[in-house]
Amino acid sequence: MITDVADDELLITRTFDAPAALLFQLWSRPEHMKRWMGPASFTCPAAEIDFRPGGAYRGMIQSAEHGENRFSGVYREIVPDRKIVFTFAWDNEGPSAGRQTLVTITFEERNGKTVQTFHQKPFLTIQSRDGHVSGWTSAFDKLATYAATLAAEEHSR
Amino acid sequence: MLTSDTLSATLAALADPTRRAILARLAEGEATVNELARPFAISLPAVSRHLKVLQGAGLISRGREAQWRPCRLEAGALRDVDDWLGRYRRFWSGSFDKMDAYIAELKDKEKRQ
Repeated sequence: MITDVADDELLITRTFDAPAALLFQLWSRPEHMKRWMGPASFTCPAAEIDFRPGGAYRGMIQSAEHGENRFSGVYREIVPDRKIVFTFAWDNEGPSAGRQTLVTITFEERNGKTVQTFHQKPFLTIQSRDGHVSGWTSAFDKLATYAATLAAEEHSR
Repeated sequence: MLTSDTLSATLAALADPTRRAILARLAEGEATVNELARPFAISLPAVSRHLKVLQGAGLISRGREAQWRPCRLEAGALRDVDDWLGRYRRFWSGSFDKMDAYIAELKDKEKRQ
């Protein structure tokens, strides 16, 4: 079942001894998220969640060795007890800073246990693509202005 | 370790299904542009453009023999992506371990009530 995952994607499938409704809450409520977010040596003292499509979340995990690490993102899709899609990025400096990823989590309950499928992949935002376009556009605009100025100067001689 | 911008270029290059297929083909060994173009319903220039992107991202290199210029997979850039994903894998796996323990704690609390 771990086919069709590209070199730049992460897929983690895990079965939890809990109903899907509980897992859904663990992801969507800050008081729960603070209890599990981050690997063993980390605590998660801060989590704010605006749980709705288009809503933002942010949080911070910390450890003695690694200090404070802030993360944030925006919810893209929410299907109660079944699916959550959100962007995820580290806000700190470092090689992963600001690099948007897209996380899709689905829950499938079977006999009181739930298979959680976690999928994360790079998310090249339309915003950044458009940012490049507008960057070029403004460069072209400058070029056009410069050309017009040159032409006017030429003309006035 | 490559810089963050190189990783961005690599991830952008990998975002295209045709380029992924080209890399999958090159994982089996060197190939010329013609050989790479064959399985795709796209023109040679289109394949060349994809190869330029892959080359710019450090994912492939091309031979110097002017006529054939065989393409070769470069493992280094993919390894950087792998390292990046590996950090995320450890982060989430560790979090899910804690999630598991937290669920047990919640269930225990429920039982005792």
